[in-house]
Amino acid sequence: MRNLLLTELFKIFRQRKTYYAIAAVFVLEAFIMVSAYYQGREILEVLLENLKESFEFRGDLLNANLIIYLVLNSFWFHIPLILMIVVSGFLTSEYKDRTVEAILLQPVSKWQLIVSKYLAALIFTVFILAVLVGSTFLLSYALFGKGDLVVFLEGLSFFESREALRRLILAFLTGSLTMVFYAVVSLTLAVLLQEATVTWIVAALFLIGTTLLLRLDFHSDLLNTYFFPKLTDTWQSLFYPEVPNGVILRKNAALGAYTFLFALIGIWVFQKRDIK
Amino acid sequence: MILSARQVSKSYGARQVLKEVSLTCSEGEICGLIGPNGAGKSTLFRILMGLVSLDSGSLDLRSKSPKPLGGIIEKPALYGYLSARENLRVFSRIQGLTLTAKHYGALMEQVGLSPDRHDPVRNYSMGMKQRLGLAIALLNNPDCVILDEPFSGLDPIGIRALQDQVRTLAGKRGIGVLISSHNLVELGDLCDRLYVINQGEIIREGPAQKVLQAAARGYLLFGEGLQGSRVLNSLHVEYRKGSALLFPDSRPIGAILNELTREEGVTLRGCIPQTDLRTLFEKEAS
Repeated sequence: MRNLLLTELFKIFRQRKTYYAIAAVFVLEAFIMVSAYYQGREILEVLLENLKESFEFRGDLLNANLIIYLVLNSFWFHIPLILMIVVSGFLTSEYKDRTVEAILLQPVSKWQLIVSKYLAALIFTVFILAVLVGSTFLLSYALFGKGDLVVFLEGLSFFESREALRRLILAFLTGSLTMVFYAVVSLTLAVLLQEATVTWIVAALFLIGTTLLLRLDFHSDLLNTYFFPKLTDTWQSLFYPEVPNGVILRKNAALGAYTFLFALIGIWVFQKRDIK
Repeated sequence: MILSARQVSKSYGARQVLKEVSLTCSEGEICGLIGPNGAGKSTLFRILMGLVSLDSGSLDLRSKSPKPLGGIIEKPALYGYLSARENLRVFSRIQGLTLTAKHYGALMEQVGLSPDRHDPVRNYSMGMKQRLGLAIALLNNPDCVILDEPFSGLDPIGIRALQDQVRTLAGKRGIGVLISSHNLVELGDLCDRLYVINQGEIIREGPAQKVLQAAARGYLLFGEGLQGSRVLNSLHVEYRKGSALLFPDSRPIGAILNELTREEGVTLRGCIPQTDLRTLFEKEAS
């Protein structure tokens, strides 16, 4: 199993598409930073226009913490999309090149192969997020400097610089669970659909559908709390004035269970299905 | 006997692709499986390799090797972005083998690949890919190798080189080889034993020459003095430039050739059986 996992990682980091994914993350990050640099101040002015009449603001609100928060918002769509495309490719490309078959011609069990793929997807996701978080914090603090964070979430919230940093780190950690969920789902879709383009389309539809369902009221407390689309935005709860720690923990545990369930479905189908 | 399949059947929906297929392969034996496209060769090999489940029947593998079977199904599937050595490394590591650079070099040389080549295998010709595929199949010393259509896409020199390698594997290393093709020329003089499959059924089996003989339509004779031969003229024969296509009567071909050379003094330079594929792929009357 260890050998299979190491081989999977070796293959991932020998493929060009892995570096395209890393480059895409950097381009996205750079785009957010450049946009924030040129337009962020204007947006903040509009946002805080009324408050300026009542309060006196000190320091620059267009600072590293705000930039990091903006990058964090790429967890809604951009980062999961990149992850789903790349991670599903770990399997669809092997179906296309028939290397899945070549591996299974060796004394390797099917379940070990697919479990190693899921573990490699997990490690890859954590790696991409580490690259994103590391570079975002580094560049943001180097270019924009520290300062208080202003967030608009059902109203404006202000966090002191140290508190903002703590919440941003926790939000990235919580958001990472969502990214792992999407990565695992995309690999399960690859098991089910096998063909790359079809898998990408269905993965994108899944992402769009999840985002839409997140906004929908199901008129059921259970569904509104624990249906998986409702668990993908838990990281946002870290920016409420009062952090609902219990809810966050419960929601993260539920999302972890869904992730595990999707992985189990993929493993079961892969194990059962013939390699034609 | 290393490998034995008994009464193997497989259906995809309502379509039965294998009907009670049985075959065996022993140590050092080259067994050929010949059949037209869509006859069920690849499905049978996939079942033998454990890629596809069987509906009924049984498989028996008598091997103490950690890898009883090695194989290539259809074209060799390789990681195009990796070099040959890296491909070997990937496929050896996943089965827990820790080979040194020297081992990889030796493996590559064994199948006729240069150990000094480090470019991605997507640049390789089909023949080179087949050789690398064979090296991968031979990792971990399997007792039996299954090669599905290994000659497709190869030029005549590549076909000859692969045939020589197969003979070496069986003759010198005692590996059982099960090899398929839809082309008789590729298998005819290579196999010890031949199975003919059509529409999912084994319709003929036995020693290769016997199976081919049974489906021989005629014999192409090369030599001098053929046209003036009284013996040939008494039989059904078509003359060509420097050769004659003979359709013998009920007499064995050996007796006719004997008569030609000893009694008539014809100088024979060659005699090639002309197998009728239609006859070969037709089910024998039981």
